[in-house]
Amino acid sequence: MAAISHKSAERRLAWALLAPAFVAVALLVAWPIWIVVQMSLRPGRALALDQLMSRPLGLANFERVLADPATWSAFAHSTVYTAGTLAPAFTFGLLVALLFNRVFPARRWLRSLLLLPWAVPGVIVSVTFLWMLDASFGVANSVLRRAGLLSTDLAWFVDADTAMLAVIVPTVWKSFPFFAITILAALQGIPAALYEAARVDGASAWQQFRHVTWPGIRRPAMLAVLLNALWTFREFDIIYASTGGGPAGATETLGILVYREAFASFRFGTAAALGVLMLATAAIVVALAMRGLKEEFR
Amino acid sequence: MSAAARRWTLAALAAAVVAIVLFPIYWMFVTSVLPSSLVLSRQPPLVPPVDAISFASYVEVFRRRPVFVWLANSAIVVAGSVAMSLVVSTLAGYSLSRFRTPAQRVAGATLLLSKMLPGSLVVIPFFFMYTTIGLIDSLAGLVLANVAVGVPFATWMMKGFFDTLPRELEQAAAIDGCTPMQTLWYVILPLARPGLAACGIYLAIVSWSEFVLARTLVTKPDHWVVTVGLQSFVGEYLVDWPALMAAGVVSLAPMLVLFLLLEPFLVSGLTSGAVKQ
Repeated sequence: MAAISHKSAERRLAWALLAPAFVAVALLVAWPIWIVVQMSLRPGRALALDQLMSRPLGLANFERVLADPATWSAFAHSTVYTAGTLAPAFTFGLLVALLFNRVFPARRWLRSLLLLPWAVPGVIVSVTFLWMLDASFGVANSVLRRAGLLSTDLAWFVDADTAMLAVIVPTVWKSFPFFAITILAALQGIPAALYEAARVDGASAWQQFRHVTWPGIRRPAMLAVLLNALWTFREFDIIYASTGGGPAGATETLGILVYREAFASFRFGTAAALGVLMLATAAIVVALAMRGLKEEFR
Repeated sequence: MSAAARRWTLAALAAAVVAIVLFPIYWMFVTSVLPSSLVLSRQPPLVPPVDAISFASYVEVFRRRPVFVWLANSAIVVAGSVAMSLVVSTLAGYSLSRFRTPAQRVAGATLLLSKMLPGSLVVIPFFFMYTTIGLIDSLAGLVLANVAVGVPFATWMMKGFFDTLPRELEQAAAIDGCTPMQTLWYVILPLARPGLAACGIYLAIVSWSEFVLARTLVTKPDHWVVTVGLQSFVGEYLVDWPALMAAGVVSLAPMLVLFLLLEPFLVSGLTSGAVKQ
């Protein structure tokens, strides 16, 4: 009897502690999502909640969004942007993690400095790279000209051919520390004895990486790739603050298109429908990766 | 090569990598302390002449733009949202760590999923709700919106820290006659102080960086936060680069200090909690 009442007191405490989070989640996460879903399913303009709820249900917003070529071009841009960011950010993050897993003087301080870009707000990243990649006075063009690699004033963010590359570079700069940190933590969990055993067996450096290092970091590295893919796919700050989706839509990703539909064209319904489709895409990607994920979140 | 020589070679290599990675921050600073005549050059000097260094752009940008107001607004939003988020996510993180009922699992998964919502989508219902209830253009509204952004990950972070504290602590406290709330307040929280610090710093960085909500939910320039203020320079016909970089340095400096305080926790704490091996 005493055990049971103790158990129920414990359960009350569990709920009481969780209550503020439940209220926060319900009010600040679930309720907004519910509104977005309602908006996407109730075509027409509405400026207040009662107006919105009185509109009939229908799929016109989704039909309109799926038939719009801008959607598919934004989808393609998002995919290119995500893949173009992940591949170099992962590679660079892996390489610096391997370097910083070695023992050398001042490692602790150099590591802190190396990871700094992670803490730089996206808008500041944007304005800094806008300046460095400026056509006439940018330091990047100046260095390239001095090295004889460039003869014109290339306006990286303004030229439609280079704008995507111009937004990818700052994104890579801001994203690689997350990979470096995750992989470094995993590397430090690999027992040194495994490397010793491999060396005794005469394994080359590459064989040690292939058969000792990689199995040790594979899971956290893949989880980091998945999380970063989801974050990059919906990235907004860096692109909006540098090109705003331009020139001529060359960097208009889904995140930017949703915002423009809502706050430039004031079509909240189609913006919400686009957002729901974005979430569905993310959910499909997560579901495909779920088997791996389950093992990470035991 | 001797072991010592190899170590110094590695250190030199690492230092070179760090120098390249930090070049954008260096360049932002260099631009901010040079006069326009040197900055607006087709061959800007990579290492600035020492006698040309001046902080005139800082004086100028504070005089011409309300940078101080932006910084103050950011500080208010950060202080408010960090305090609220920290209370909510500490309690929730403790609950997720110690009680594993279905309710905790559902709450945990929902929190994790909400981290995946695109910011430019979340802002739509917030705009809609805030225009309906009149919270638009208010810093209080921005604080609440930032709580929504920060709580999910902060809760998982706190759960990770609580997971590292042994459960025997609660049992011992119960034997000594503590109620569960007393145990949390007098035993667990003092031990979780490093976790609270790391979590608070993380939240501060996130809300200081936040842009899309601040850009949309607040339109009056008096209520702009620093990210919105900086973005307002972009797209002007003639951007005053030294002034913009000066404003950038001022708004970045507190983040760099916070990050250097947080970094030791990241490799050990955050990774063991949030991204389990």
